[in-house]
Amino acid sequence: MADIELRNVRKAFINFVALEDLNLRIEDGEFVALLGPSGCGKSTTLRMLAGLEFPTDGEIRIGGKVVNDVAPGKRDIAMVFQSYALYPHMTVAQNIAYPLKKRGVDKAERDRKVERAAALLHLEPLLSRKPKQLSGGQQQRVALGRALVREPEVFLLDEPLSNLDAKLRSYMRIELIELHRQLGKTMVYVTHDQLEAMTMAHRIAVMNGGKLQQFDTPDAIYNRPANLFVADFIGTPSMNLMEGSLSGSNFTVGGQSVTIDRSRLKPETTDGAAVLGVRPEDIMLGDGTIDAVVELVENTGHEKIVALAVKGCDRILARAPSGSAITVGEAVKIGFDQTKTHLFEKDGEGRRLNLDQDHNSLP
Amino acid sequence: MPLLRKAALSLFVWIVVLLVSFPLIWMVITSVKPQTELFRIPPTWLPETVTFEHYWTLLSETPFLLYFRNSVILSTATTIFVVALATLGAYSLVRFRYRGRETLAMLVLFTYLLPSVVLIIPLYLMMVSLGLSNTLISLVLAYTTFALPYALWLMRSFMEGVPPDLEAAAMVDGASRMGAFRDIIFPQLLPGIISTALFTFILAWNEYLYALVLVNSDSSRPLTTGVMSMLISAFNIEWSLLMAASVMMSVPLIIIFAFLQSYLTSGFGGGAVKG
Ligand SMILES: Nc1ncnc2c1ncn2[C@@H]1O[C@H](COP(=O)(O)OP(=O)(O)OP(=O)(O)O)[C@@H](O)[C@H]1O
Ligand SMILES: [Mg+2]
Repeated sequence: MADIELRNVRKAFINFVALEDLNLRIEDGEFVALLGPSGCGKSTTLRMLAGLEFPTDGEIRIGGKVVNDVAPGKRDIAMVFQSYALYPHMTVAQNIAYPLKKRGVDKAERDRKVERAAALLHLEPLLSRKPKQLSGGQQQRVALGRALVREPEVFLLDEPLSNLDAKLRSYMRIELIELHRQLGKTMVYVTHDQLEAMTMAHRIAVMNGGKLQQFDTPDAIYNRPANLFVADFIGTPSMNLMEGSLSGSNFTVGGQSVTIDRSRLKPETTDGAAVLGVRPEDIMLGDGTIDAVVELVENTGHEKIVALAVKGCDRILARAPSGSAITVGEAVKIGFDQTKTHLFEKDGEGRRLNLDQDHNSLP
Repeated sequence: MPLLRKAALSLFVWIVVLLVSFPLIWMVITSVKPQTELFRIPPTWLPETVTFEHYWTLLSETPFLLYFRNSVILSTATTIFVVALATLGAYSLVRFRYRGRETLAMLVLFTYLLPSVVLIIPLYLMMVSLGLSNTLISLVLAYTTFALPYALWLMRSFMEGVPPDLEAAAMVDGASRMGAFRDIIFPQLLPGIISTALFTFILAWNEYLYALVLVNSDSSRPLTTGVMSMLISAFNIEWSLLMAASVMMSVPLIIIFAFLQSYLTSGFGGGAVKG
């Protein structure tokens, strides 16, 4: 059993607070992604789980035991570094065998396990090479091999795919999912690539500026972003955010009003300044009450991304089928899919004002 | 035309090589010439008779071997001492964050700002009050003081080239900090350690000034001062013996270089971390 728990964890470096009051509970066998922009504290979190950094405050538990003061080698974890950190003077086989050697596994057993790991990752023909004689993808597989040869309870992966080309990356993504399915171990996966997080993880912890923003399933993160940051960060193109004011069931932006389903908002929601969020796919072109002018049309092949100018807010992006006839300069009426709009506080943390059960709860 | 230029270039290079190596060649030639041939005018290029009598005299009738032994002990001890200190020091300077780290590194270099003559007398007095005057240890300590700063900075730059992730990975894989250092960091540092060791050894082997001031008994004199005091006096210079001694003094360095040269070049470019 290796569930992971971070309780009120704070990490301050000499002159910089990298993490503030982080609480996170990861279940045994779960695949969790830590997602966030550069510098938000993902690696720091992972390194604390590994025991390479120590929390300034708070408690870290792995498998129920407090591990704050446990050395990295004594935690039942393995880590794949962003840089792979393969030992340059050792062959692939020696690299993979190193963790076993350090744990006093005898030679015969070691060879057997290295062979098995190599077979799993298709590394057999490379076993006698040195790391610098390998391609990036091969190095990455060796790093994975070194991590899983010991069969630890927890895998920590720090952006393991970030240095691979697009094709290899999507291939390795599938390999990793498959690997997780086979091993059934807890995996914590750091990435700043939302596609990786969305496709691989059971749950995603979105972080920003050392604070946890939301920790939920990919579906919930996408459909029920907890605040403005998550709404903006997840999705490409990202959610359209329009500042305006709420009054009863009306939301006014730049002098134009749209109707809001007030029953979808939290009862304590008060009238006044707020931010309305609509995903590009939830904008209905030619069907609504808001005046807009088409500024730009981008044809990606399977769809068109339409940029619209609407008075009183930033450029709005909408998705349209690739066959739709839209011309630049054209004036259109647009509307929002009422069941899928999001409303956020304008001030403070930009919290979500919608009730949580609204989307995807329909049968 | 390119052929001509190449030829001219080769010629030039060979002239420079000859100019540089002439004293060395002359030293070897002189050392095997009989005394009678030494000051003949015009000089003979190749000795008419080759003799090793000077070598034999040195080895059998003078304390040359004692000096040689002293030099070996002295240089080896200094090298081990300096390399160990510099490696651990560099590790600490690069891997840990603590107050005064940079100041410490700069302070170590401070000794280089002073000419060594200024430092000799205080060092000598210190050695006397420590009861170490006239010992090999006093020389080891003295050489350490001026080899260490450079060695530390050299090792520091090598250490900076070792990615911290390597060590972190080793620790996650179950190694202790010292274990990670031994298994992973040390092999990465080997080229640096060898360079530093060579530098220190040569420095200690060839040092003259400190040896002259700090040590004045035959039992702990190294080769440099030993050979000088033995063969050069105000009235007479034993040229043949001096040349033979010089040849034998150079041999260890040549051997060491020959052995470590391949290490020095092959060790570089580890490719630990893709970048
Ligand atoms: N040893 C350190 N000393 C001081 N500040 C540090 C240290 N390590 C990290 N930081 C700071 O802590 C913050 C979080 O760093 P961290 O490496 O966790 O970011 P990250 O989310 O992994 O970013 P990236 O996606 O770029 O890898 C950064 O602002 C970084 O500058
Ligand atoms: Mg990082």
